[in-house]
Amino acid sequence: MAFPPGIPDRLRIFRVRQLTKVYGEGLAQVHALAGVDLDLYAGELVVLLGPSGSGKTTLLNNLGGLDVPTAGELSYRHLDLTRADEAALTQYRRERVGFVFQFYNLIPSLTARENVGLITEIARDPMPPELALEMVHLSPRLDHFPAQLSGGEQQRVAIARAIAKRPEVLLCDEPTGALDVRTGIVVLEAIERVNRELGTLTVIITHNAVMAEMADRVIHFSDGRVHDIHENARRAPAQSLNW
Amino acid sequence: MISQLDRKLFRDLRRMKGQALAVALVMGCGLSMMIMSRSLIRSLESTRHEYYEAYRFAEVFVHLKRAPNRLVDRIAAIPGVAAVQAGISVQVTLDLPELDEPASGLVRSLPDHQPPALNRLFLRAGRWLRPGGTGEILVGEAFADANQLHPGDSLTLLLNGRRQTMRIAGIVLSPEFIFESRPGTALPDNRTYGIFWMPYRALASAYDLYGAFNQLALTLAPGASERPVIGALDELLKPYGGRGAHGRTDHPSHIRVSDEIRVLHTLAIGFPVVFLSVAAFMTNAVLSRLLTLQREQIAILKAFGFTDRQIVLHYLKFALVMVVAGALLGVLGGILLGVRIVTLYQLFFRFPELAFSLDRGAMLLALAVSALAAILGVFSSVRRAARLPPAEAMRPEPPARYRPALIERTGMARVLSHTFRIAVRNLERKPVQACFTIAGLALATGILIVPNCFRDGIQNVLDFQWDVVQRQDIGIGLVEPSSDQIKHLFAQLPGVIAVEPVRSAAVRLRFGARHRQLAIQGLPAHGQHSRVIDANYRQITLPSEGLVISSKLADVLGARVGDLVILEVLEGRRVTRTAPLVGLAEDFAGIAAYMDLHALNRLLGEGDIITGASFSIDALAWRDFLRELKGIPRVSWVAVKESLRANFRETTAASINVIQTIYLIFAVIVAFGVVYNNARISLAERARELATLRVIGFSRREVGAVLVTELVILALIAVPIGLLIGTGFATAILREVNTETVRLPLVLLPGNYAFAVLAVTIASVVSALAVLRKLNQLDLVGALKAPE
Repeated sequence: MAFPPGIPDRLRIFRVRQLTKVYGEGLAQVHALAGVDLDLYAGELVVLLGPSGSGKTTLLNNLGGLDVPTAGELSYRHLDLTRADEAALTQYRRERVGFVFQFYNLIPSLTARENVGLITEIARDPMPPELALEMVHLSPRLDHFPAQLSGGEQQRVAIARAIAKRPEVLLCDEPTGALDVRTGIVVLEAIERVNRELGTLTVIITHNAVMAEMADRVIHFSDGRVHDIHENARRAPAQSLNW
Repeated sequence: MISQLDRKLFRDLRRMKGQALAVALVMGCGLSMMIMSRSLIRSLESTRHEYYEAYRFAEVFVHLKRAPNRLVDRIAAIPGVAAVQAGISVQVTLDLPELDEPASGLVRSLPDHQPPALNRLFLRAGRWLRPGGTGEILVGEAFADANQLHPGDSLTLLLNGRRQTMRIAGIVLSPEFIFESRPGTALPDNRTYGIFWMPYRALASAYDLYGAFNQLALTLAPGASERPVIGALDELLKPYGGRGAHGRTDHPSHIRVSDEIRVLHTLAIGFPVVFLSVAAFMTNAVLSRLLTLQREQIAILKAFGFTDRQIVLHYLKFALVMVVAGALLGVLGGILLGVRIVTLYQLFFRFPELAFSLDRGAMLLALAVSALAAILGVFSSVRRAARLPPAEAMRPEPPARYRPALIERTGMARVLSHTFRIAVRNLERKPVQACFTIAGLALATGILIVPNCFRDGIQNVLDFQWDVVQRQDIGIGLVEPSSDQIKHLFAQLPGVIAVEPVRSAAVRLRFGARHRQLAIQGLPAHGQHSRVIDANYRQITLPSEGLVISSKLADVLGARVGDLVILEVLEGRRVTRTAPLVGLAEDFAGIAAYMDLHALNRLLGEGDIITGASFSIDALAWRDFLRELKGIPRVSWVAVKESLRANFRETTAASINVIQTIYLIFAVIVAFGVVYNNARISLAERARELATLRVIGFSRREVGAVLVTELVILALIAVPIGLLIGTGFATAILREVNTETVRLPLVLLPGNYAFAVLAVTIASVVSALAVLRKLNQLDLVGALKAPE
């Protein structure tokens, strides 16, 4: 579902204005974000495309409350993320944001069910871990440890872990980066299903242009800025992708 | 020129300085203990040996009633005798103006015109006695120090009932009195008991012993054995009231120094072994972690053509740097501790010079032992890393395999939180690491038990000795055995509430082939002062027949209640009788035998005789009583319970405090180091996992809980084990120090355990907090990137 200009404010989740992030000092200064303007809306699936070092991960980290910008505006609904303190950011991540990483980052000493349960223990209105794992078609692997799961399965556990808290935002950083095509598709299907069934704003970072087809909007990033925003008239199902 | 690889070594070390230091400190503790105790053994042994040699310490000693000086030649003619020194030895009381109670001491004679052949004196201050001079005296250093006496001061002695004021010519030391204490007492009391030397002529005339001797010492010819000489000597001295000769192994001062050396031997081996094993493991843990981190670097080095040997050597150098640091700390600590302990020894042991002498051999041994420990600790993991094919090493290590922990498999899974599961599964996956952390914490807990156990044991003995056994306020000995009528005189002294007579006599107890020499004591059957107590702390009523002996003495003789023991009296009419053993007494110093006073007097056949008395005194009349007592010439020694107690607090208790402080420091270092090391390694190995937890919404506190849960589990296992180990240590060390001279009961109070638990807990908590602060530095963004 694409949003025409002038969509109501209540559907806007992130408001980003002139966002900059500078790392280092003096000659070694790097402008990872050099004035980003962007709005992200409830329920949409956004793909962030761009070459390495274009600033997409920095943006994602800022959206997720893992990093604070150097200047500019960044708000999640009415929460000003530029001014939030450590505790508020932790609270924000705990309740609102689901993360999916390229390398899954599962807790190796916990089973699939327990990795998800870890989150449902601390979340406010979680779904049962079994249900979250059902959504990513992992019901038969509930009691397996990460070392007993394939890469794709591990990534699906990570997705289940991310969505079990019923987050408003799902941030995925190269979710298929470490996977082969077939497994990658299965993972993307899971993300797509979560977006569709739960209405979670989903942001996927990738440098794989093929994945743009499954998005509502495709944002091209380069040199720390939004270079171009493209809206797809129709989302292609993940299953149809190939690279 | 430093190679680039060594440069890497130093930079890597700088990054891990906290952990490297923790390892070096724990190693340093073990080595300190080893270097300290070995150096002290060396110091004591060589100092004693040189002292004995240079001052001609005798090898056989005997006391007798009185023998003419011409007998000395016959003794010198006994085969195997090298040199003989005869003289006079008497007990005296002293009147020190600044001391309320009478002090007492032993006066020895010195030959008038030449230095003694044996047991020569060392002059610490002042000068020697003038040949033929009178009114001069030499004073033993311990007593002089305790009473602040200096050459030129005067001293009033009661010599055979006559007050004589003497001038102190010099302060001296004797190889016979390295440990100066009243005969039969385990604790020194240098304030009220001293050793003095006077010219033979002066002392002999005061005691009507001119031309005679009552004490004799001799050395053996090279190769001669002690037993036949003692046998011949006893035979020869029998008519002269010989009280039975003995060798150095029964010499009170010699025994005390030997006991100390034996305890040091225990410390020199036991403690370092445990400390070094913990340190070896810590080295292993630190290095294994480093090797995991540097897998890729190893691969690159190998790809560039470095040999396995070079790589093994490079990582072994890490361990060796820590070893060298540990050895330096150990040497430094060993010297500091040794010097401190030597000053303590100077409280108890009087040598012309007791200096701390570093055992360099021990230093090298320490270095070798700890290097070996470290190399053993790291070798296997270093070699494993070096053997890795480069291509494989370039890839990250495969994900760790886990399985449900044992505790979960028992069906408790439902009640466990996820944090707890993470903790127990991690522990189960690395059992060796967990075991050594437990070992370190247990060790830290255990070593704290030992000094407190000593303190409580000694306190128990003293309470027992002073509150249960000796209920009198003061005990005295008479110059000569006297008619028991004298007790009526004593009863009239001011403030006397009760007085009880004592008869003691030198005897040899024989049972089968074994025998011991001691002073048997005759006490009133229902006495309330020197009470004879059984193992259940109940008073034994002395029966009108038979004798009661220390249970230790019964062990030594191999006798049991009901056995008939042979009693050879070594004085007076020297009768030999058999008497049934009717009871065993519980006592903690020396060996003793008791009989009913009348029964003993009947056995000795000398009528109703006493040799001493004990008093309980009205506190208000205390000073009056002591003043009168000082004036009674027939009193030869006085033991005031309160001053023994005070003296104990100043010396023994103070030294226990020092030892306790040392152990406390060691325990804190070990607990801190082990926890720090464990937490740092967990933190490093699991940075990614912990950062992930932070990213997905765990607060710092919740992430900290994951790490702390592991430590708490380890501590909960370690502390009870530590308390057991400590109990074992204490039992073993007490067994080692329990001799016929001193015995300490094993007293383990809840307070002792609580202190150990508390100290280790505090050290661990502080250490864990130091590591947890590092959680703030977790790189959340970095954790999302490729695995290291």
